[in-house]
Amino acid sequence: MLRESMQSEGKQVDVRGVTQGFDEDVGIPHADALIEFAEAVVLRDAARTQSARETLRSALGDAALVDAAAVVAAFHGFVRIADAIGIPYTTAARGNDAPELRQQAGINDFYRVRGER
Amino acid sequence: MSAPSFAGSRIPVRSDLAEAHERAWAAIAAPGTWLTGERRIAVAAEIRHAPACAHCARIKAALSPNAVTGAHEDLGTLGAAEVELIHRVVSDPGRLSEKWSQSILARGLSEGEYVEVVGLVATVMMLDTCLRALGLPERALPAPTAGEPTRYRPAGARKKAAWLPLVEPEDALEADGPLYPNPKAGYIYRGLSLVPQSLRDYWALANCHYMPGEYVYQFDKSIRAIRRPQVEIVAARVSAMHQCAY
Repeated sequence: MLRESMQSEGKQVDVRGVTQGFDEDVGIPHADALIEFAEAVVLRDAARTQSARETLRSALGDAALVDAAAVVAAFHGFVRIADAIGIPYTTAARGNDAPELRQQAGINDFYRVRGER
Repeated sequence: MSAPSFAGSRIPVRSDLAEAHERAWAAIAAPGTWLTGERRIAVAAEIRHAPACAHCARIKAALSPNAVTGAHEDLGTLGAAEVELIHRVVSDPGRLSEKWSQSILARGLSEGEYVEVVGLVATVMMLDTCLRALGLPERALPAPTAGEPTRYRPAGARKKAAWLPLVEPEDALEADGPLYPNPKAGYIYRGLSLVPQSLRDYWALANCHYMPGEYVYQFDKSIRAIRRPQVEIVAARVSAMHQCAY
């Protein structure tokens, strides 16, 4: 989804960043602030979340902060349905799963993929 | 009913999101398909309790999650299988396995109960995470609504692609009620289909957090206040941190 959304803007993204960290110039406005916010929330780090929230709000405004929070929250749900029901990851992206993309992004090192290889 | 989710927020919250939270909490408190309202609220309480469980922390830290022995620190209102399901899905969802899911069922939880509990975990975590991300206090759990579960199991549900039975779009019946926005709905959409009401409740909320299905593959469009690549970089990082391969 990330790669395709970047392609829609005529850009490329190094998907290794998903697991290994993105370059400074990933080509997405305020990517650093968004990632810092997402990571702080996932880690349940209240102080880091507060700081990240203020940074994001200053950079993008109230409505963007709400939508970023909503997306972070949404994926706390999606991942749990996928992983607890055992949905085959090869069916992601409407069945257009790209094994080479999984390899490149480091997803093949995830527990579930390793266990099924 | 407890105070609204975004009451007291100094940040304006779009009305569809606020309304979706209200509907979701009302649905959580109501009798479900296999669980009473009282049991569903007990599940919600256990979901909130799980992050403080020392046994979960040991599992999370272990190289081999299934090698850790011990017992969960739970609230004492649910059975052991339900507690294991809730705690593991909350705390370490990326390291579950089909063998583990079958062990939960072997301990006496039905497939329908399993799926309904997973739907509640996903829903409550979405609701609570949204408030926590915005710096808002956790909402008090609502009082359960009296009534009996419907005990409806879709006749077309089959175990094939996933660890639990799903209703493939071509097997959906009118009696199931509305399930899919279109026949090509992705597998993530089908995940809760063994319990159609859980599926509908979950997606009514998820669509307001992420985006409705008709926009998901329109990559050049964003209906949110952040651009689509901004949405997706957040989504990708959150998924990766959970070790979700989907």
